[in-house]
Amino acid sequence: MSFDLSLIVESVPMMLAGIGITLKLLVVSGLLGLMLAICLLLMRISGKWYLNIPAQIYIYIFRGTPILVQIFIIYYGLPQFDAIRESIFWPILREPTGCAILALTLNTGAYVSEILRGGVLGVGKGLMEAGSALGLSSRQKFIYITAPIATRLALPAYSNDVISLLKSTALASTITIADMTGIARTIVADTYAPYEIYMSLAVIYMIFTFGIQKLFGAIERYLGRYTKREG
Amino acid sequence: MDALIGWWDDYFWGAVIVGKVFLCSLSLMITFGLLGAMAKLSNSRIAQNLAGIYTVVFRGTPPILIILLFYFGSAITLTAIAQIIDPEIKFVDVPPFWAGTIAIAVLVGSYATETFRGAFLGVNPGSIEAARALGMSNLQTFIYVRIPEMWRLALPPFGNHMLSLIKDTALISIIGLNETMFVAKQAITVTGQPFTMYIVVGAIYLGFSTVVTVVVMGVEKFGERTTVGAL
Amino acid sequence: MSNEPLIQIRDMNKFFGNFQALKNINLEVNRGERIVVCGPSGSGKSTMIRCINRLEEHNDGHIIIDGKELTDQIKDINAVRREVGMVFQSFNLFPHMKIIKNLTMAQQLVRNISKTEARKTAMEYLEKVKIPEQADKYPIQLSGGQQQRVAIARALCMKPEIMLFDEPTSALDPEMINEVLEVMVELANEGMTMICVTHEMGFARSIADRVIFMDAGEIVEEAVPTEFFDNPKNERTKEFLSQILTH
Repeated sequence: MSFDLSLIVESVPMMLAGIGITLKLLVVSGLLGLMLAICLLLMRISGKWYLNIPAQIYIYIFRGTPILVQIFIIYYGLPQFDAIRESIFWPILREPTGCAILALTLNTGAYVSEILRGGVLGVGKGLMEAGSALGLSSRQKFIYITAPIATRLALPAYSNDVISLLKSTALASTITIADMTGIARTIVADTYAPYEIYMSLAVIYMIFTFGIQKLFGAIERYLGRYTKREG
Repeated sequence: MDALIGWWDDYFWGAVIVGKVFLCSLSLMITFGLLGAMAKLSNSRIAQNLAGIYTVVFRGTPPILIILLFYFGSAITLTAIAQIIDPEIKFVDVPPFWAGTIAIAVLVGSYATETFRGAFLGVNPGSIEAARALGMSNLQTFIYVRIPEMWRLALPPFGNHMLSLIKDTALISIIGLNETMFVAKQAITVTGQPFTMYIVVGAIYLGFSTVVTVVVMGVEKFGERTTVGAL
Repeated sequence: MSNEPLIQIRDMNKFFGNFQALKNINLEVNRGERIVVCGPSGSGKSTMIRCINRLEEHNDGHIIIDGKELTDQIKDINAVRREVGMVFQSFNLFPHMKIIKNLTMAQQLVRNISKTEARKTAMEYLEKVKIPEQADKYPIQLSGGQQQRVAIARALCMKPEIMLFDEPTSALDPEMINEVLEVMVELANEGMTMICVTHEMGFARSIADRVIFMDAGEIVEEAVPTEFFDNPKNERTKEFLSQILTH
C-alpha cells in the first residue's frame, strides 16, 4: 500500500472546482436560514400561543430528524405529489441544488432560531426594566436593547452553526450534486484511493472551517468592543 | 398508507439496527471523549497536542466524509495486511455497521472531548480544596467530588452529543448499513412512494430523539434533586 | 397645579402566587415631598415602589399618579412612566451604548425630541452629576459611583415629576456612596418629589420629610425623621432601628 502524492496533486484542483457549489449552498442556505430563524424567534418570543406552539413544533421536528432524511424527503419524496410537480415551485424543486438549498435552509433555520433565543434570554432583566422605566415600548426595547446585545451573545454558538452548515453541504453529494465531496467520491470510485483523496478533502474543509472561525472571531471582537475596560 | 403494509417488519428491524449503533457508538464516544479530555487536561505537551489535533480534525471535517474514509480506507488497509499474510485473498472489508459505528463515535467523541474538558474545568475548585484539606486521596477526590459535579455540568451538551449520534446513524446508510433509510430505499423501488417511506424514517428517528431527550431531562432532574434549592 | 397628592396609593395589595407581598398599603405623597422607605429584606419596600411605575402589577386597590389611575391599559402605563423616573440598585445602564447615547435614546424614542436637543439636555444633566467628560465612554469604563450618577442623569433627562430610587447605593463600594448621595441631596433640595428605598439613615435624617418603615408587606410606622428616629412608637420599628443603628 503506498501513498500516492501525485494523485493528491492531480485531484485537489479537481475537488476545488466544486468550491463554487459548496459556497453557493453555504451562503444561500445560511442567509435564507437566518431570515427563517429570525421569523421563528419572533414567533417563539411573541407570547401568543398560536405563534409559539407551531414554531416549537417546527423546531422540534427539524432538530430531531437527520438532515439527510430531510434532504431525501424533499428531493426524492416531494415529486411523489402531482400538486408539487404542477406548482410554480417545480423548476426549483426538480433540481438537486434547489432541493439541497431548501433542505439546508429549513434545517439551519431551526437550529439558529434556538441559538438566537438563547441570546435573547441572556439579556439582563434589569436592562429591560430600565427600558420600561424610561417609557420605551416593547418594540423599541426589542430593537434598541435586546437585539444588539442578543446578537453579540449568540455569536459564538452561531459561528459553530455556520461551520455545521458547511459540513452539511457535503451531503448534497448524496443527491448527485457535484460539490467538493461529490467530485471526491467520483475520483475515489475511479482510483480506489480513499486515503489520499478523502484526507486531502478533509484538509480543504478544515482550512475552510479555520477561515470561518477567524472571521467570526473578528466579528466577535468588533461587537464586543464595549465589554473591555480600556478605552 | 397501504403501501406500508408488509414493510413495518423491515422498518422495525431497521430501527433495531439504529438502536444497536447507538448503544455501541455511545460507549465508544464516551471513551474517546474522556481520553481526549484527560489528554487535554494532562501535563504532557504531547498528549495535549495529540488531543488538539484530534478535536480540530474531527470537528472540522464533514461527518459523511469521515464515514466514507473509515469505510473505504479500512477496507484498503485490511486487504493490504491480509494479502501479506495470504496473497490469495482478494478483498477484506469491514462491515458497514462497525466502520460506521466507530466513525461516528470518533467524530462525536471529538465534541465530547471539549464538553468533558469544560465540565472538569467547571468543577468548583473550592470543593477540591476542601476534599484535600479533609485528607482525601486523589482517587477519592476524583470519584466522590470531581465526577459527581462534572457529569451534572456535562449533561446538557452531552445530551446533544447523544442526539448527534442518533442522527448521524442515517449517514451510515450511504455505505450500505441496513437501517431504516436503507429499508426505505428498497420499499420505494417496490411501492413507488418515496415521500411516505422517508417520512416513516423521519418519524422513527424523531421517536429515538424524543426518547433520548426525555431520558436526559429525567437524569437532569435526578441530578438537580440534591443541588437545586440548596441555597 | 392641583393640591391633590401627586401619588395616592389606596388599599393596595400584591400577591406573588399565594404569597402576599404587600398588605393594605395606603400612602399619599404630595408634590415636593421627599419620602424615605426603610425596612428589613423582604419587607416589600422595593415591590411597593416598583408597583408605582408598573414594573410590578398590583392585584387590589388603586394607584393614582398625578390624577391618572394606573391600570392594565398600555396608554395609562406609559402616561405614568413618562412622569416617573427610576434609579435601580444595579444601575442598569445599557452596556452597548456610550454614556451620551444612554441619556439621549429614550428622549428621542419616547418624547420624540430631536437629536440635538436631546444631546443638549443630556450634557446639562451630565454636568449636574459632575461627570460631563465621560460622555463618550462606555458604561464598563466607569466606576460604580459614576455609573449610578449617569443612571440618575438618564432618569432626569426625561424631566419626570417623581423620582423613585430603589436602594441606589446598596451595590456600591463604601467610598463611592457619598458621591451618589450628594447628587440625591441636591435633587431633594431643588424640590424634586422623591421616594427613596435605602439603608442610608444619615441621608434619611437630613433630607426626608417623612420616613416610612415597612415590615412583612405592611407599612408599620410613618413619621417625620426626628419623631421616627428619636421616638419610634411601634415595637418592630424600635427593633429594626436598634439593629441598624448600633454601629
